[in-house]
Amino acid sequence: MSQPVTPRRTTRSSASASPSPAPASPTSPPKSRPKPSPRRQLLAAAAAPPKEDGSSADALLAELPGRRAQAMDILRLLAPAPALPLMLHGGAATGKTRALLLALRYLRPSQRLVYAALRSLPSPRALFASLLSQLSATPFSTSSRHRVPDKPSDFVAALRDALNGIVSQGEVVYLVFDNLEVVRSWDKGGQLLPLLLRLHDLLQLPQVVLVYVSSATPDAYYSMTGSVEPNYVYFPDYTVDEVRDILMHDHPNPKLYSSFLSVALKPLFRVTRRVDELSAVLEPLFRRYCEPLGDLKAVPDEGMKRRLFEHVQSHLAVALNETFNVPMRASMDEIKDGGSAGKGSAKRQFAGKDGLSSELEFHMSVSAKYLLLSAFLASRNPATLDAALFDSTGGLDNRKRKRKSSQASMHMKDTIVEEMLMKGPGTFPLERLLAIFQCITSVSEDILDEIDCPGNMASESGTTGLMSDVLLQLSTLCNSNFLSKSRSCPLEGSARYRSNIDEDLALKVARSVNFPLSKYMYRR
Amino acid sequence: MAAAAAAASVASQAQAVLRGRLCDQAVVHSALRSSPDTNYSKLKYLVASSVSEACNNSVLLLGPRGCGKAAVRFSFLVYSSAPLSAVFSDAGVVFDEMCQWAIYDFTLWVVSAWTEVVDMVLDDLKKDHPDAISVIRLNGMLHSDDNCATKEIARQLCLEHQLSFSKMASSDDNTEFMIDMLRECGLAHKTIIFVLEEFDLFAQGKQRLLYSLLDAMQSLTSQAVVIGVSCRLDADQLLEKRVRSRFSHRKLLFVPSSVDSLQRLMEHLLALPEDSPLPTKYVREYNARITSIFNDKKFKGILSSLTDADATTSHILRFLFRVVSYMDIDSGLLSMQSFMNALSSMQRQPKMDSLQDLSILELYILVCMNRLEDKEKSSYNFITIMKEYKSVQDAYKTSDKYSHTVCFRAFEHLLDRELISFADNKGRNQALEYRPVKLLISSRELAESLKLNTTCPAVLQKLLDRERYM
Repeated sequence: MSQPVTPRRTTRSSASASPSPAPASPTSPPKSRPKPSPRRQLLAAAAAPPKEDGSSADALLAELPGRRAQAMDILRLLAPAPALPLMLHGGAATGKTRALLLALRYLRPSQRLVYAALRSLPSPRALFASLLSQLSATPFSTSSRHRVPDKPSDFVAALRDALNGIVSQGEVVYLVFDNLEVVRSWDKGGQLLPLLLRLHDLLQLPQVVLVYVSSATPDAYYSMTGSVEPNYVYFPDYTVDEVRDILMHDHPNPKLYSSFLSVALKPLFRVTRRVDELSAVLEPLFRRYCEPLGDLKAVPDEGMKRRLFEHVQSHLAVALNETFNVPMRASMDEIKDGGSAGKGSAKRQFAGKDGLSSELEFHMSVSAKYLLLSAFLASRNPATLDAALFDSTGGLDNRKRKRKSSQASMHMKDTIVEEMLMKGPGTFPLERLLAIFQCITSVSEDILDEIDCPGNMASESGTTGLMSDVLLQLSTLCNSNFLSKSRSCPLEGSARYRSNIDEDLALKVARSVNFPLSKYMYRR
Repeated sequence: MAAAAAAASVASQAQAVLRGRLCDQAVVHSALRSSPDTNYSKLKYLVASSVSEACNNSVLLLGPRGCGKAAVRFSFLVYSSAPLSAVFSDAGVVFDEMCQWAIYDFTLWVVSAWTEVVDMVLDDLKKDHPDAISVIRLNGMLHSDDNCATKEIARQLCLEHQLSFSKMASSDDNTEFMIDMLRECGLAHKTIIFVLEEFDLFAQGKQRLLYSLLDAMQSLTSQAVVIGVSCRLDADQLLEKRVRSRFSHRKLLFVPSSVDSLQRLMEHLLALPEDSPLPTKYVREYNARITSIFNDKKFKGILSSLTDADATTSHILRFLFRVVSYMDIDSGLLSMQSFMNALSSMQRQPKMDSLQDLSILELYILVCMNRLEDKEKSSYNFITIMKEYKSVQDAYKTSDKYSHTVCFRAFEHLLDRELISFADNKGRNQALEYRPVKLLISSRELAESLKLNTTCPAVLQKLLDRERYM
């Protein structure tokens, strides 16, 4: 099945899968670059001479569905060489970079493109090196002749020299700064940002056109001492019809797909308007939609449409409530890999799973599950109640605790609840975790066995079995982001842990080992 | 067909001419210099009197950024061939006198962009006495570091006087060299003019550069002018005592030009000259169209709404650039419509725009946050927002009830769009759900955007309205 995605969106998905490669950093020879991403291909195309067929304005607009006004604006504002700086801004996945690069390709000949994606250039120095190496005629190397400037003054002088050489030959240079918004969070971003934005004034070269691409709104760049503003082109998010046009682009069976989109797109559009996310959700849904069909080339009639709609309706309801889908055969290892790749992503993965149907099995050892549960309890329950909760009777007797509550105590309870909501899960030392772990494993042994024998004997044997590699399990759970290890407490000096799972997942894990979790949870 | 193509090429030629003019600071400010302005005469009087009385003087020109600061630099880089107006001829004479006069130190603080005056005077001087002045330009954004600045000064001095510059020289060597050069130039009756752009940035740190510059000017032999350019009104307050005591202050306030002079500027910039290589018939037609637009009542409205927001020259330039870019290529003429289009594209409200881009769920979250703020919650996080969202959904039983994770993704989108942000930078290692957040939009903006949004469910509107009148 062909994917109903345009190259732009594949760029995003590949960018999220792997950090996008740093272009032409001076330390890495150009030969060893990672495989080109679609954006890089587009970049190469923008720098290359245009093909004969692809150089008309209509062809350009056809490649940018729903971006007609913006593309025309860009063309007009960039067109004959001297131009004031330009800033394209708009949300993520609205086609800013794509429109710009295609427009620049259309504007050939006699232009030179210098493209710096600031997201992949982590420091001013890397940015300077990248810009200068793209401008220098010979491949930039780390030889002593080319010293990478690290001071802004040296950089501007070097940049002016390089640009002067090119401009004097009558060429127009387009300097593109993509992802400008990330500079704000850089170490010295506060100083670099005005420099980049005032480059037009500093260089004073009319044949050099500066283009900034930013997902942050222009007011993010206002500075205390006033700023020189570029011309703005705003990229709004796509409307429903534009999204439909984009998704329909080059689909092998447009009739079937449009009947599918007329059912599925509107509800999903209420949740998110980003094309990349929509296409990711729609693709598996469409496969579901086609399931009853034997022939994928079939053109649906009204009756079949209704049948297909009824078939897909339940899946649609599920899809609305999940951020992404984990294939059924996904093993724990794969998920762990994903978890260690980026901070927070694993947590989302697991959080996302609770929306899934319950048949997904946790591939986790029993002791790991118990450890997870005890970490959850340690994070949620106040430490002072441990003794009461884990006494010999096992668990909290809710009936005893019922007391008449006065107005004042009710109010106090409310504020405590508020506080808990704000604070989130608490941290705990390793000792407490192990103690709870020991308690709940012994209790569950009692429950499971139900044999009338000396309890402590049985629990001891069970515990030793489960306790054998608990530290190893703990580090595994930390690595897969179920638990997070925070900095050591200044008073106690030992590391503290925090559980990252939510209640739904904890209950699910508890159910899988038949553990009465709710009995041990302190309810306020 | 051929005629149409020819017209289009003429139009694009004209467009290129106009764009080139708008991007060229020298042309833009040559328009301003020909207009007799009261500020000019004030400054002229100030300068003239201070020179004739041979007193130390410092003048502070105050005004907004973006009115031709670059013109200072430009006039030195490119030798401008634009004829100088009569207005400034005698100011030039005064400066002329100053250069021939023996020892004279002059400090001019220009706070703002309004530096065409300086520009023109220096330009004139340079024309009359190519050997009598040399100009050193520094930019606070690039040379705020003292070592860097002295090195740059030494480099430019070497360049100016055909000396060889050593990259290896230490900062002390460079400072010493600068002082020597000042003395030598003073003996040769040659004035060195220092132009310090973004002057306020030089006032960071120990201000060693400013001190050594101004201290060198205290000696009898040196002959130098320091021009500080800044858009901070309190630029002189930033100076240390020892630096501040070395010059006297005088401030002169420059306000943005009046609407009339801006209109003259626009006419000057947009009108095509008769003697251009473009066909005369076309030029006449074009200029007639421009004149008729300028006399239109609608245009007055456009101009006033433009200057109400920002009356600096750079703002007007950007506006004109857009107008020229929106020129009708077939006829090659500007129309009222291109002015209207340019105005509407300049008057965007980015926050409102991105509010219009939100999905229904994202709007729900914003409304919930707004409700929480109206309940005077001191701080709240995603979990509390979800509690509010649940209660709203339970009360109204809408179809927009989504799971926790989907809501969290919408929440992250809002963070990405910078419509909401974390309330503090503490707790970076805490999970995002628990970090306190705040709204970055007002409830009025939210209400307006809900009104404008055609797909927005009525419940949302009600949720927002009811709590406001409760």
